Amino acid sequence: MSATIPAPVGRLRAVWDRPAVRHGLLALLTAAVLLFPFVEGDDADIDSLANAAAYVALALGLNIVVGFAGLLDLGYAAFFAIGAYVYGVLSSFQVLPAWSPFWQPFAALHLVEKINQGGGDLVHFTLSFWLALPLAAVVTAGCGVLFGAPTLRLRGDYLAIVTLGFGEIVPIVARNTPYLTNGAAGLNGVQAPHLFGYNFTVQATPYYYVGMALVALLIFTSIRLRDSRIGRAWMAVREDETAASAMGIDRTRAKLLAFAIGAAFAGAVGVFYVAKLQTATPDMFGFPVSVMILVMVVLGGMGSVWGVVLGAALLSLLQSWFLPDLSEWLHTLGAAIGNDWLQQIDLARSIELIFGILLVLMMLFRREGLIPAARHAPSLDFAAQHVQGVQRGGFDGELAATALALPEPGRGNLLEVRGITVRFGGLTALNGVDLVVPAGGVVAVIGPNGSGKSTLFNVITGLVPADSGSIRFAGAEILGLPPHRILAKGLARTFQNIRLFANLTVLDNVLIGQHARLSTGAFGAVLRPPRTRAEEARALARARSIIALFGNRLAPRAAQAVSYLSYANRRRVEIARALASQPKLLLLDEPTAGMNPAETLELAEQIRSLHALGLTILLIEHKLDVVTQLADTVIVLDHGEKLAEGRPDQVRRNEEVLRAYLGRAAREALDAA
Amino acid sequence: MTVADVYLQQIINGLSLGAMYALLALGFTLVYGILELINFAHFNVFMVGSFVGLGVLRLLGVMPGAPALAGVALVAVLLGTLIVTMLAAGLLGVAIERLALRPLRNLRGPAAMITTIGISYILLNVVLLSLGADSKNFPNPLPSWTMPVGGAVLRLREVLIWLVSLALMAILTWFVQFTRLGKAMRATAQDAEAARMMGIEVDRIIIAAFFLGSALAGAGGLMFGLYYNFTSYIIGFTAGLRAFTAAVLGGIGNVPGAMLGGLIIGLIEALGGQLVSASWADVIIFSILVLVLVFRPAGLLGRVAPNKS
Repeated sequence: MSATIPAPVGRLRAVWDRPAVRHGLLALLTAAVLLFPFVEGDDADIDSLANAAAYVALALGLNIVVGFAGLLDLGYAAFFAIGAYVYGVLSSFQVLPAWSPFWQPFAALHLVEKINQGGGDLVHFTLSFWLALPLAAVVTAGCGVLFGAPTLRLRGDYLAIVTLGFGEIVPIVARNTPYLTNGAAGLNGVQAPHLFGYNFTVQATPYYYVGMALVALLIFTSIRLRDSRIGRAWMAVREDETAASAMGIDRTRAKLLAFAIGAAFAGAVGVFYVAKLQTATPDMFGFPVSVMILVMVVLGGMGSVWGVVLGAALLSLLQSWFLPDLSEWLHTLGAAIGNDWLQQIDLARSIELIFGILLVLMMLFRREGLIPAARHAPSLDFAAQHVQGVQRGGFDGELAATALALPEPGRGNLLEVRGITVRFGGLTALNGVDLVVPAGGVVAVIGPNGSGKSTLFNVITGLVPADSGSIRFAGAEILGLPPHRILAKGLARTFQNIRLFANLTVLDNVLIGQHARLSTGAFGAVLRPPRTRAEEARALARARSIIALFGNRLAPRAAQAVSYLSYANRRRVEIARALASQPKLLLLDEPTAGMNPAETLELAEQIRSLHALGLTILLIEHKLDVVTQLADTVIVLDHGEKLAEGRPDQVRRNEEVLRAYLGRAAREALDAA
Repeated sequence: MTVADVYLQQIINGLSLGAMYALLALGFTLVYGILELINFAHFNVFMVGSFVGLGVLRLLGVMPGAPALAGVALVAVLLGTLIVTMLAAGLLGVAIERLALRPLRNLRGPAAMITTIGISYILLNVVLLSLGADSKNFPNPLPSWTMPVGGAVLRLREVLIWLVSLALMAILTWFVQFTRLGKAMRATAQDAEAARMMGIEVDRIIIAAFFLGSALAGAGGLMFGLYYNFTSYIIGFTAGLRAFTAAVLGGIGNVPGAMLGGLIIGLIEALGGQLVSASWADVIIFSILVLVLVFRPAGLLGRVAPNKS
């Protein structure tokens, strides 16, 4: 799985990684964008770029939904339409209610004016373009939330088709409500923006600058969101919803936020676009537009901000510059060689064919897009991979105490499970199971495969509902709470079949573990006030020091994607991620599965040192020597019922346990031995 | 026509539309059942199917406006066209699977679905650019036989659509339930990994699902042309979405569900168009799609699938 990088590319990256180089390039790009209208005399070319800006901005919005949060939205143009019509209707002569004193205050604010077209006095809406931008963003974000709240729970492919349906409905509604939108004929006379008395009218240059400013703002917002607690939550949901939720992320909220922010982007761009065209028809927002924006995101690289900018700019200019130019050259060529077909060819008509081909080729040959979103550190070389020996003696107590900053264990019973019953259809997976974990204790659950151990963990952490029973944690009922709330209360878990965020780095995985302990919201992420900066810095330092606890195993691999790691190292990352959430109770589901004896011993000692720090632990384990070494109490499950409970040495001698575990024959063999 | 007759007529229309949607919905369901993939290419396999039907009819000498055929000639022309259209559409489906989808088979995420959107676009634009944007008259060799039903009129084309659809669905049901390949298909839909270990060649099953589904879409495309007397590059999108809604409504992955869903959507389109307005029909249908997915994602006949985790 290791990614080998050819030397020239590696050198190029080294250059690129220098901040001075990147800042220099950004400055150059900004200067080029600012100076372009002065250099280029042709209004049509400037206009093409202004249109490209609108598409880049749309692609950036869709990238938040599809790229960051992994929600395939096939009706994104619907939000574009809503934003466009908000401004279109509120700044044209389409809707003219009768004048009444009610409108007087609005007139004073210049939002409406009184007009007379020969009948009675009428209200003409004159919403300013600059007010419309944020207003449309808010309205579309609201629509995004309204539409998303019921649908975002759906699995990904269903969501795609539901959004497609939504994308179809909005233009149909626009077509069928002519009093509001003038139907298929479209709104006319949409007001051009004014700025300090300067009217934009139909010149390209002012729109160009507004469009570029909008793009700059959205790039900035996208990058700030991506590199924040919010962005990490989106990527966690994208990678593995269940694990994200078990690590404290409210997945519905995270998805809704992505949907709303994506919609807000589209709404603002809609205002810009109709202001520029000064008309809006339902056909401007159909399925082909949604697909075009998707192609831009896919071409650039889903989740990659600069990639999406590049992809959208390329495709937009392909349409308005390259294909018409190419067609003209072919016409000239055709005229020169007397070929009729060449003289009539119009490549711009085949743009959708090109979109289709691009989608297929990108998916088959370069799914990460032109500029991939993630650039993980390469695997260590062979020698570096094998330097570390086994780390004995558990974690360094002092370092671990500072790094983990675990809460006080408290007194009494930390977890009390009473009479939990879980049925899957006809199968009773757990039948009236009781379990008590005293604060500061280590309890092990053992039992044959299929005895209900993992189901028990799933019920405790809220992933599986119980049919009856009660689960109290630190005195409060947690049964029925969603997983992210349970994590926030201080229960963190690992999974038997390891559920890490595979395409994210070790560091990001551990940072996501802290989600519930951090507070940055969307605004904080974008504006990055000192409080947010301090919080991020603390989170990063904590994540690094937790990774450092695992020494050579993880520290040199912090920047690698976890999918590159060995099985044992992935288990360690999962434990690090759970510890990052500052749990009171750590649930470990077969932590040493797949580890060799030396690694098992190493991990067992680490778990013991966690216990020494006061962490309460509930673990499922098959290796009985590990159980004996760690646990104060052992609970044996068989066929969903508690078979025995006691100290490890008691349980080991229990007749029934031996029968369940080893079978009668084995028992006899044991006796004989 | 009395009001009751108008509704009767709309029911007849709705059943015909429904039969067509059911044929198309079966293709979605067969592929989804096995790959859990929404195949957007299916939309335009249907459209291409109707153009293939058009071409075959012309090759057979049936031109738009030509006199109606009768007797053996009619049956031979219709059957021949149907078989060739279904074969061509089926092979198109297989080619799509083999060339564009198989390399993405075991990938997580939306890659395969995005690819099918791309293919759908390619099919649509190839037809648009090579044959033009104008809608094409569809030759119709059917005699103008009609039968009054109450105050409504039943035409031969409606009877034909019902019969052909019923026959195809009966054959498909027999195939899925009783043949060896059909059983293997159902096993693969339940658990591809286990099916593979039981010696079932999963690749063959997937090919079969694409072939059958696409062939049915081809048949649907031919029906469309015969029913409406025209075809155009744009017919795939709306029909495809309605058929997909039908598949979801019936319970995606469920063969009888797709048939039932198709009929319901056809009736809703015809009666809803009558009751409200034809221009709102799609809004009604998509609202149903959203409501079903939100409140009963398993559909009318489907069972909630156990979480594969």
